[in-house]
Amino acid sequence: MSRILEINIFRYNPEDPASVPRMQTYYLEETPNLNLFIALNRLKEEQDPSLMFDFCCRAAICGACAMVINGKPQLACKTKTKDFPNQINLMPLPGFKLIGDLCVDTGSWFRIMNEKLEAWVHTNKEFDPEAEEERMENSLAEQIYELDRCIECGCCIAACATAQMRSGFLGAVALNRIARFILDPRDKRSEQQYFEIIGTDQGIFGCMGLLACEDICPKNIPLQDQLGYLRKKMGVLAVKNYLFWKKRS
Amino acid sequence: MRATNVRKINFSNTVAYLDLSQAITGIFLCLFMLTHTLLVFSIIFGEKCFNKVALFFESTGLAWSSGIFLTIIFLFHFLLTARKIPFSFTEQAKFWSQAKMINHQDTWLWLVQVLTGIVILLFGSIHIWVILNDLPITALKSKHLMQKGGWVYFYVLFLFSVAFHLGLGLYRIGVKWGFITSQNRLKSKKYLFILVGTLIMIDSISLLFFYF
Amino acid sequence: MEIIYSDLLCIGAGLAGERVAIEVAQNGFKVVCLSLVPARRSHSSAAQGGMQAALGNCIKGEGDNPDIHFEDTVKGSDWGCDQEVAKLFAHTAPIAIRQLAYWGVPWNRVVSGRSFYYKGGKRFEKIERIEKHGLITARDFGGTAKWRACYCSDGTGHSLLYTIDSVAISKGVLVHDRSEAISLIQDGENCLGAVVRCLRTGKLRVYLAKATLIATGGFGRIYRASTNAIINEGGGLIIALETGLVPLGNMEAVQFHPTGIVPGDILVTEGCRGDGGVLLDINKYRFMPDYEPEKAELASRDVVARRMVEHMRKGFGVKSPYGEHLWLDIRHLGKEHITTKLREVYDICLNFLGINPVEELIPVRPTQHYSMGGIKTNVYGEAYGLKGLFAAGEAACWDMHGFNRLGGNSLAETIVAGMIVGKRIVEFLQEREVNFSLKLVELELKKQQEKINKLIFGKGRENVYKVRNAMQDILMDYVGIFRNEKDLQLAVDNLQELLERSKQIKLRSNGLGANSELSLALKIEGMVKLALCVAYGALQRKESRGAHTREDYPYRNDRDWWVRTLAYFKEKDSLPTLEYEPATKKIFLPPGKRGYGGTKIVPYDYPKDAPLPEL
Repeated sequence: MSRILEINIFRYNPEDPASVPRMQTYYLEETPNLNLFIALNRLKEEQDPSLMFDFCCRAAICGACAMVINGKPQLACKTKTKDFPNQINLMPLPGFKLIGDLCVDTGSWFRIMNEKLEAWVHTNKEFDPEAEEERMENSLAEQIYELDRCIECGCCIAACATAQMRSGFLGAVALNRIARFILDPRDKRSEQQYFEIIGTDQGIFGCMGLLACEDICPKNIPLQDQLGYLRKKMGVLAVKNYLFWKKRS
Repeated sequence: MRATNVRKINFSNTVAYLDLSQAITGIFLCLFMLTHTLLVFSIIFGEKCFNKVALFFESTGLAWSSGIFLTIIFLFHFLLTARKIPFSFTEQAKFWSQAKMINHQDTWLWLVQVLTGIVILLFGSIHIWVILNDLPITALKSKHLMQKGGWVYFYVLFLFSVAFHLGLGLYRIGVKWGFITSQNRLKSKKYLFILVGTLIMIDSISLLFFYF
Repeated sequence: MEIIYSDLLCIGAGLAGERVAIEVAQNGFKVVCLSLVPARRSHSSAAQGGMQAALGNCIKGEGDNPDIHFEDTVKGSDWGCDQEVAKLFAHTAPIAIRQLAYWGVPWNRVVSGRSFYYKGGKRFEKIERIEKHGLITARDFGGTAKWRACYCSDGTGHSLLYTIDSVAISKGVLVHDRSEAISLIQDGENCLGAVVRCLRTGKLRVYLAKATLIATGGFGRIYRASTNAIINEGGGLIIALETGLVPLGNMEAVQFHPTGIVPGDILVTEGCRGDGGVLLDINKYRFMPDYEPEKAELASRDVVARRMVEHMRKGFGVKSPYGEHLWLDIRHLGKEHITTKLREVYDICLNFLGINPVEELIPVRPTQHYSMGGIKTNVYGEAYGLKGLFAAGEAACWDMHGFNRLGGNSLAETIVAGMIVGKRIVEFLQEREVNFSLKLVELELKKQQEKINKLIFGKGRENVYKVRNAMQDILMDYVGIFRNEKDLQLAVDNLQELLERSKQIKLRSNGLGANSELSLALKIEGMVKLALCVAYGALQRKESRGAHTREDYPYRNDRDWWVRTLAYFKEKDSLPTLEYEPATKKIFLPPGKRGYGGTKIVPYDYPKDAPLPEL
């Protein structure tokens, strides 16, 4: 006998004057290997076509379907119902603007973040189409890739009490992104330039070390170690700045 | 794209210094607490021994000077950490609902750290006031104090707060500054909890000696 | 009426769209990209294994050059491609890849010295040259003479997309995400922009631009089981087709990837086989060498997929509640390799199948994967039929893939086409003068608004999901890997009927805001039209070429069918109008044997009136 799942979904459509924020309960018979991608689509197609939620790649690669599942921000597509009790509560990710039901506007948030960080390779070199590529150690390329794997799903922001309390806080996703560029020798920004971006209370010094980001990251990116590395690096730089300033004056 | 095109904005190192100072004062206070625990523990070797230790600090003037010095560090540490404490109601509400939502150990433990910090601020001030106003420290005075009214409850709560705040604080410093890595996080946490336990045990023994 | 003006309107912000946008923006033009999802969630990010470019850095790629890449591509296409395009592509790919390296893509690099690799389950040794140490390396992929697929672990598409988007941001390219173009604005000769539905609020907006690019990727979601993201419903193709002026090329050329997982239909990369993984049947027997002695698992995708189905039809498939499948075995590659170079595969297996590929076999079967067909363009990406309309990437039929795309050539196409089409758009914009007729705009906007009103308040009775499911079932059942007259005719008949039903949709929800029932309802008619282009094109093409396999016409008939199908859809029609053009104007490599697949060929100089050879 398969279970009947009780799925409670946050409902609110800001574009519908008749809509009020509420929790709505749906019932669904569990089938083998059921995940939330299939479950939510079945609910939409069979019970309530007005349901709003985001999926895209449904293979845990694109980061579109992050939502709060029984209290934990996670990717819905790779969440199997069999790992949950009969009751499953779904909420939109906190910390992002709500579009409707389980949809939030992560796109604008991350675009602004990337603009703020200037999250691209800064270099004075021109690209020479005739020239061989610059060499790089494979191990370094792999290290960069390790941090480059972030899919900007927003789970770390939704999980972080600091980010929820202080809306300007950059969060683990941004700090990890900067760590990726610091590693990359093609980005010619100086340590000082990185410091100007993240050496603040909105940046690395705002992090309170709660580590929910580390524990929740669906791609298992080593966020804790990046945060520790950045704080140390930026702290040392500040001390250096102090000594240098002392010497100069 | 050019590195030279990056806007130069006004930046300051202040935040970095504040954050560093928070960690350094924290570590300093931890070291002090560990020493303090050991010194008080001398009671188990008898009142004479305890008094000798106390006398040493009295006669060299260390009791006064370090008392004042520590008070300053103590308050400074509070001011630094206060930058992170949610004082506004909105912030508190957000933190609370977030902690409830994700039900995540390290997030809860941060709350414990804040609450114990506030307890320490209050009780610590009282403790320092009481002790420094009644120098020199002797075993007898301490015993009288302990056996009077609710002071024993005061000290039990104080002791637990200090121990937890110390353990969690060290953990947090380790994590934030990259000394505790994802590799050794669980182990570090375990060791720090053992430290907390040991502290509580040692201080409880001292308390018992004063109480009876 | 909200109107947004720009020089270039990019519909789609995946790799192709953004690469074009970068080219145009850095020449000082204003570019706005539309995207259904945030740019970085585009389906380009799901490309795993690699990007083909003849760098020849690694020892197994030594001696490689763009001409060999060109030949592989033409053979892979089963001579269906435009050879001028394929040549231009192969020669530009190395530059594209180096530019990506310059922009920050963390390509895996050559490590000099001795190392091991696997082929067909056996271990071999190779020694990388010291003078190539640190240059971009490559892995083996199907249908290639050399190791040529440059990669970043198996998240190549992800790293490319993040890098390209970062460059786009730095160049000031605007991305209006959660926006869907629902029709093109055109005056019969010129494309002037698009009517767009905001997927945040549901409101309609008008985008007017001197040039419009369609780069919306594939249309795999007209099939029920597809490796494609759920956004790949062919939106860009639909709005082009519905003008009645712009033809879609080779829509019958649909690629099935050999290794989609069962269940779930999620792709595991060709890199699995490239790195030495093998296919096994129910008896754990490695069957591919029996069919393809030369290339085995690394023949082109159409061939491997066909052989797999052939083998399952002989009764060697593994039965499961989700249908028959075969096994992919990568266990011998070892834990370290799998958790680093095939990390996404590892995660996918754990997350979606609950199996550990280091110790267990992966259940796979051929699954719809790629659309070789698309908006037909010339070599510069200019769409047929409308001035100012361009297309690039999977949405386009540029046509370098012909009837079968080689693994790793799609990522390469997005970037290379982006560079070439981008350049042409810049030239175009420098001379382009347009007058936007507001009357035309209002007319189109009104038409779309009425369409929406009809869906919400009209008298229709059809349920949009039922219509879509019926369409998907028809394609799955009758327009799969092996095709024949009877099935295809059935498909066409049923789809024609479905087309009528798709005009009678009525929403069950209120359609307000970011309503997704309305999104689907707005394009379901177009999706059925795409399905008809596929099925009808397949029915009419009486030969077997690449991924188009006719059981009743097993020959590749170069005499009669060395052509490209062009499908138009006129407004009131229930069938596409098919025209044909030569597959390639320039011939650098005359039709011949591919070296795998064992197709029988009717040569292009076969006597005109002679009957076809006996089967």
